Amino acid sequence: MLLWLALPLVPALMELLWPRDAVPLIAVGNDANNLTYFAESFTARANREGLLGTLVPPRLTDGSVVRVHSQAQPLPAGGKPVTDLVVLVDTEPVPAGTAFASECLARLTLRGSENVTYRALLGQRDVLLGARSTVLRWVHARGRLEVAGGCRLMGRATADRAIVLGSDVVFDRLESDVVRVGGVETQEAPVLPTGAYEWFVPKKATSLGTHYWRTHENLLVPVGTALTGSVISTAAIVVDQGARVTGSLKAHGDLRICARAVVVGSIAARGRITIEHGAKVSGPIISETAVVVEAAVIGGPGTRTTITAPIIRLYPGATVYGAVMAGDDGLTLS
Amino acid sequence: MTLLALCNIGLWSCVAVLAVYTGRHYFFTLNRLFGKHRQPFVDVLQANWPSLTVYVPAHNEERVIRDSLDALLTCDYPEDRLTIVPVDDRSQDGTRAILEEYRTNYPLRVVPFLRDEGTPGKAAALAEAMTRRQEEIFLVFDADYIPGPRLLKQLTAPFFDPEVGAVMGRVVPLNVGSSLLTRLLDLERAGGYQVDQQARMNLRLVPQYGGTVGGVRRVALENVGGWRVDSLAEDTDLTVRLVLNGWDVVYQNRSECYEEVPETWESRIRQIKRWATGHNQALRRYGGALLRNKRRLPFWQVLDGALLLGVFAVPIVLLLGWMCTIVLFYAGYPPQWGRVTILMISSFNTVGNFAAFFQVAAASRLDGSRERIRLLPFLFLGFLVSTFSVARATLSRASWWEGRPVRWQKTERHRAGRKLSDGSSGEFLT
Repeated sequence: MLLWLALPLVPALMELLWPRDAVPLIAVGNDANNLTYFAESFTARANREGLLGTLVPPRLTDGSVVRVHSQAQPLPAGGKPVTDLVVLVDTEPVPAGTAFASECLARLTLRGSENVTYRALLGQRDVLLGARSTVLRWVHARGRLEVAGGCRLMGRATADRAIVLGSDVVFDRLESDVVRVGGVETQEAPVLPTGAYEWFVPKKATSLGTHYWRTHENLLVPVGTALTGSVISTAAIVVDQGARVTGSLKAHGDLRICARAVVVGSIAARGRITIEHGAKVSGPIISETAVVVEAAVIGGPGTRTTITAPIIRLYPGATVYGAVMAGDDGLTLS
Repeated sequence: MTLLALCNIGLWSCVAVLAVYTGRHYFFTLNRLFGKHRQPFVDVLQANWPSLTVYVPAHNEERVIRDSLDALLTCDYPEDRLTIVPVDDRSQDGTRAILEEYRTNYPLRVVPFLRDEGTPGKAAALAEAMTRRQEEIFLVFDADYIPGPRLLKQLTAPFFDPEVGAVMGRVVPLNVGSSLLTRLLDLERAGGYQVDQQARMNLRLVPQYGGTVGGVRRVALENVGGWRVDSLAEDTDLTVRLVLNGWDVVYQNRSECYEEVPETWESRIRQIKRWATGHNQALRRYGGALLRNKRRLPFWQVLDGALLLGVFAVPIVLLLGWMCTIVLFYAGYPPQWGRVTILMISSFNTVGNFAAFFQVAAASRLDGSRERIRLLPFLFLGFLVSTFSVARATLSRASWWEGRPVRWQKTERHRAGRKLSDGSSGEFLT
């Protein structure tokens, strides 16, 4: 009986006497909060292996095969998935319907065809993904990343200069200087001097500090008024058309920034956040439900910011300077 | 009412309390294994980051403070918006010389605050240091903590939500392999953070601001009355006051920071007794206010807050339960196996600040660390030590009455390889 009870101690004693797992947990991950981590690692590997040199080596140092795609040496159309690492040495489009099961390196501008599947793609210049293409893990463009309609960007999509998305693009995480839906630049809401507004102070709100309030009622910042300070509402918040808020907002319910309204600060909500056309929000947008951005501007050229929510919907004209992070479901609409 | 009747009622009461704690542990564990992971701020990558002060309270920390400051200086927070303020409170060793060295080398980034007077202790030191600066957001790290390069941004991100009053990151032991104790504490920390804290975050209950790797919003702190300098657990004290006043406390499981855990049982016993005493002080101060719930906090938040405050009083309940069982047995009552079984099971799941066995197992699975779980049977040793240490602290006068002078109660450091102020190496201590 005693031996039976002591049985669990055997592996315990073995682990104590001959430790196999007595090192600190690998906790501080290198890729945390760095969407270009894989692209940087792959670039370093490409440099090491000479993939960016004049002559592309036929094999990597681990023995795996490197294939080249060029005008002179194109990949066959409609074949089996390409399991080797592929280097696209010129601008010859890849055949429609190709599936790349390994990494892809485009040394010049990549003009993708329709229905191409990439496991991971690094573009040394611009990358133009054809309609209904899929990226399984990550894509990074050193220039612009243009994504045609119906594409699926699973994992990370990043670009040094800009990301331009077509309609019906499914995405997870996007990051660039600017992320746009549609190629047209959106007109920002004018930020007028504060003197142009009527001052607004929330009524029936508890003061938590200087310019800091909490209210248990719906909050409406009326048309043409300016609120300076931060407000927490345990109900909903609406910043009406043309109003201005300098501070942060938090709603337990939904939060709506109406047309041509301006928020110089961050907004957060447990419910849905809607940014209507012509509005501008300079700080992070955080929702625990969903964020919908119409033709509005989030962040600015010198002030990158983040939209984060489980569900994100971007309408044509939506312009985000920084990152768009959809936890479950990101989609551009037409 | 006879003694036997009292014992009977006492036993039922103890079993009920312990069953609630046990159920809570199971609920949290199941939530972590099968529930939705709530981390709304972890993806805030880009922002116009606010000016930030990082306080590092220190009292005789010459063995460890260099590592902490070096790590902070290499963080990716914008340099022009970050000020590191080591707060030295009457150190007797070489801590001050080290801080002066950093002040000279990094005059704009490291601004030590040195104090020799006033109330001693971490909370008092922080309270005084804070009066010298104006930043709205500040972080606090213990001097033995080594943050990763992205940690400052991760801990600052939740403050973009104006309702967040405090943020807590995850503590990961660095000196795991030093002894059996450090390995057990590694398991315990994993269960406590990966399961317990994150489950509270998921369920919108009361994640605890731990005071060692976290941050506080100035307006929230002032709104709840500032630091309490007479508290032995200023972190628990602040957590409860923030919750009572409607502020959110956020736990960030991905914001991991290395710490040095105690390597000797004496040091561990001192640490857990301090926690227990401070926790019980908070229970005495705020238990009533929490249960009266004048601010109409959600029921589950109040319940969790009450259970959190009462966690270090549980050993007394446990001991009382066993005493009642023994009295009833010798008085001729046949053992009621149902109650005794619940009491036995609960015994292992309820005591002190450490996690239950299945919580540790779940945490190891979530962390993907397979081999260290083999040490689980030895947690019984930690359980016994914690039970008696916590019971002693809970029965002490300091837990329940005012008037004890507050002083620095710090955990002994063991880190090796540093030259100490007397010129010797720190290695002899390990």
